[in-house]
Amino acid sequence: MWREILPNAWENILSQIRSFEYSQKNAVLVPAAALGVGGMLVYWLRSGRRMETIDMGDGWWGSGERYFKGKEDASIRPFKIETSDKEIEDLHRRLDQFRFTPHVEGAAFQYGFNSSYLRKVVDYWRNQFDWHKQVEVLNKYPHFHTTIEGIDIHFIHVKPSYVPHGRAVRPLLLVHGWPGSFYEFYKIIPLLTEPAKHGLNEGDVVFEVICPSIPGYGFSEAPHQKEFDSIATARIFHKLMNRLGFKEYYIQGGDWGSRITTNMAQMLPQSVKGLHLNLVFIGRQSLRRLICIMLGAYVPWLVGFTREDARRFYPFMQKNIYDVLQESGYLHIQATKPDTAGCGLNDSPVGLAAYILEKFSTWTDKSFRHRDDGGLESKYSLDELLTNVMIYWVTSSIVSSMRYYKENFSKDPDLTAHDRVGVHVPTGIAAFPQEIVHVPRVWAKDVYKNIISYTYMPRGGHFAAFEEPKLLAQDIMQFVQKVEQL
Amino acid sequence: MLLEVFLVLGTLLLYFLFSKKKEETLPFKDGWWGRGQKPVTKEDSSIRPFKVETTEEELSDLFRRLDQARFTEPLENSCFHYGMNSVHLRKVVSYWKNQFNWKKQVEVLNKYPQFKTKIQGIDIHFVHVKPPRLPEGRAAKPLLMVHGWPGSFYEFYKIIPLLTDPASHGLGDEHIFEVICPSIPGYGFSEAPHKKDFNSVSAASVLYELMLRLGFNEFYTQGGDWGWLICTNLAQIAPNHVKGLHLNMVSVSKLGLPQLLSVLLGRYFPGLFGFQGEDVRRMFPFLKKGLYRILSESGYAHIQATKPDTVGCGLNDSPVGLAAYILEKFSSWTDMEFHNLEDGGLERKFSLDDLLTNIMIYWVSGCIVSSMRFYKENLQKGIGTQKHEKLTVQVPTGIASFPNEILHIPQAWAKKKYTNIVSFHFMPRGGHFAAFEEPELLAKDILQFVDKVEKEQLWKKKGE
Repeated sequence: MWREILPNAWENILSQIRSFEYSQKNAVLVPAAALGVGGMLVYWLRSGRRMETIDMGDGWWGSGERYFKGKEDASIRPFKIETSDKEIEDLHRRLDQFRFTPHVEGAAFQYGFNSSYLRKVVDYWRNQFDWHKQVEVLNKYPHFHTTIEGIDIHFIHVKPSYVPHGRAVRPLLLVHGWPGSFYEFYKIIPLLTEPAKHGLNEGDVVFEVICPSIPGYGFSEAPHQKEFDSIATARIFHKLMNRLGFKEYYIQGGDWGSRITTNMAQMLPQSVKGLHLNLVFIGRQSLRRLICIMLGAYVPWLVGFTREDARRFYPFMQKNIYDVLQESGYLHIQATKPDTAGCGLNDSPVGLAAYILEKFSTWTDKSFRHRDDGGLESKYSLDELLTNVMIYWVTSSIVSSMRYYKENFSKDPDLTAHDRVGVHVPTGIAAFPQEIVHVPRVWAKDVYKNIISYTYMPRGGHFAAFEEPKLLAQDIMQFVQKVEQL
Repeated sequence: MLLEVFLVLGTLLLYFLFSKKKEETLPFKDGWWGRGQKPVTKEDSSIRPFKVETTEEELSDLFRRLDQARFTEPLENSCFHYGMNSVHLRKVVSYWKNQFNWKKQVEVLNKYPQFKTKIQGIDIHFVHVKPPRLPEGRAAKPLLMVHGWPGSFYEFYKIIPLLTDPASHGLGDEHIFEVICPSIPGYGFSEAPHKKDFNSVSAASVLYELMLRLGFNEFYTQGGDWGWLICTNLAQIAPNHVKGLHLNMVSVSKLGLPQLLSVLLGRYFPGLFGFQGEDVRRMFPFLKKGLYRILSESGYAHIQATKPDTVGCGLNDSPVGLAAYILEKFSSWTDMEFHNLEDGGLERKFSLDDLLTNIMIYWVSGCIVSSMRFYKENLQKGIGTQKHEKLTVQVPTGIASFPNEILHIPQAWAKKKYTNIVSFHFMPRGGHFAAFEEPELLAKDILQFVDKVEKEQLWKKKGE
């Protein structure tokens, strides 16, 4: 019955409209058009001004109940890293009692950290590495602590010792990742605070650099409550910059630092002058693409691939997926059982070193897997590598650093900035060739709507600031120059 | 013309009826796993008695490490959701230091005769228990029982007496077994392979050689966890020697469209996919009980299958770390709900003495790294890619399906691989470590399975 009425009704309406005389038609059409255009105009104007942001929210990470009376202690206290003979003796004792397992013949780094090479590292660590000296190196930049949302946040704050005439000083927040630390930035900091001295001459800007430790890492207190994720971190870092007196600043990050700074840009875009990244997390769109690619191997018709597409894609893509699976075991166990995974590592410094240094090998250059020494010393010195490991060791922060994976993955397995909320602040991306996963600009654009610069770096891997500080500094500076000219 | 057609059809029919189906077997995998080159001289094939030993030095080293353990405070109200809870771990360590008596446990371990013999270049450790009393004219049936990870031969210590002396434990004495429990190479007191590629087929080949060396031509096999796969491979390598295969865990790697459909629709049309009521109860909701469970519990497998030397390194140096890593499995794989308990429910089904004895086997033998390598050797090329995964099993198979096993595989799926399932039972209680946790239930199921196989074989023999 309905099937008969509807077409008839439609026919009636049409014939009625056609039957109008011109003036009557106009009487109907013009106001309708005006309303339509006007409506669209209003919508467009309003949507342009309404910038999507992530809700800032609030949090409390201290132990027990939050104090409601009185304001939080907002003082900024200078801090110096210290060590003791006792601490070093304990370390040496553990190094001496380490129990090695021989590797299978021809293993290189394919089964993980090669135990023959590990013996050499431990020998150096025990007999030549000088932690007292390294602590002095760490203390060469001023360190501070301040309490935010119930936990002590550690950071270094380096100002240029001398500002040339006519140069502006811009605040720059650098955020590290896992298994790194604020120490990763020690070589790049002088290039950013005093570029001229180091042969860089990129325009009118020098930086004052702030490198915090993510809560749960290094000298920042670990959260005592569950659900401390990158959004909470982003909010805390905004509060930190605010407390230091900055209203607008640049932010830079790789690894977790990339996600945290991205969240910061989504949370308070008006405070972020520019966002620079050396790692882009695969967007949800790209995850969909990845799933399509994976499914396409079995049911190409389902994802819209032709046979020819399938034939061309597959060896290459499967290799990529295989590589990702090869390298993501740590991520899987840390995102599900961090307290288990980290337990032994907080008790065995050699175990901790093997776990961490394996990443410095493979994530610097994938081909290092085939080398007996993991290629570690071709890009880094043992002193640098062990100093980073020592930061995890002396602060007992390996477990809390791993919990960060669970807290972030449980909420949002894609690890993207909220897809609804893109990133609109000027963004610069430095794409390093040996990064674990390459994200092309076209995929990055899904989330980062305002990419001002995207550079294919000539060399370098995941730990960009640590491995290629000059290249990264140059890219940051050319990006900031572009932003300043906007 | 019709006559010719009938003749042809008739011949074909006769051919199909009378030809034996060509059973595909898995080739025996020979290898040399010792250090360096294989020597020219013949391998020493003697079987040497072995006793577990300990020293004061070993104990004081352990205590020193327990004393210096560095714990990390758990998050508030996290129970076992983040892994092993360190507050409970402290209690375990305190017991370990002050009440656990390793010397006494070594005596417990030594109550069954143990041996070592060199096969394919490495020393294989095994327990061999003969029945204490055998009625006149009866023979003991050899039964090979293979453990898994993070277990050991010790898991079978409670079930062995039920199988070698069933009469004394209230189980009928129609079938009496002599039990052989080896340690998988790289586990416990078996030497670890020094070469790459020692996978489940290699292990099955080594254990097959072991059984032949012990003089057994026909035997039963039983296993769960890796033992499931090794025994399955053994049944594929030597179907004429394996009288029966009993499993307390099954996994299938060929998941095609039918399985996908049954996951999507099986809840609503169980009969259509061969699911029984109990299958539905255990498998659905599939996201929670299947996919989510796999993801949240398989982190260890992922990292062990890719970087075993890295992840095992610290665990071979920190007994507390080793305990945390292993005990977490004895918690969640016994009952997933134990996540919500502050103590992980560890002592509800096991005694601390038993749990720590198993851990001590990993500790004193220093085998955690080599035990993890087994994951890489088996999984590195991906799941479902190896030859043995594509072959079926024709040997009579018995499956004991425990309710708290990590993943439930219904008989409908299992029979795609195990073409001769003689018995499939839903066990009333118990989890992954069946022999350790519910020895009596498992023993009963093994006995009824063997009973069926023996009767069936006898029947077959009569028929010929």
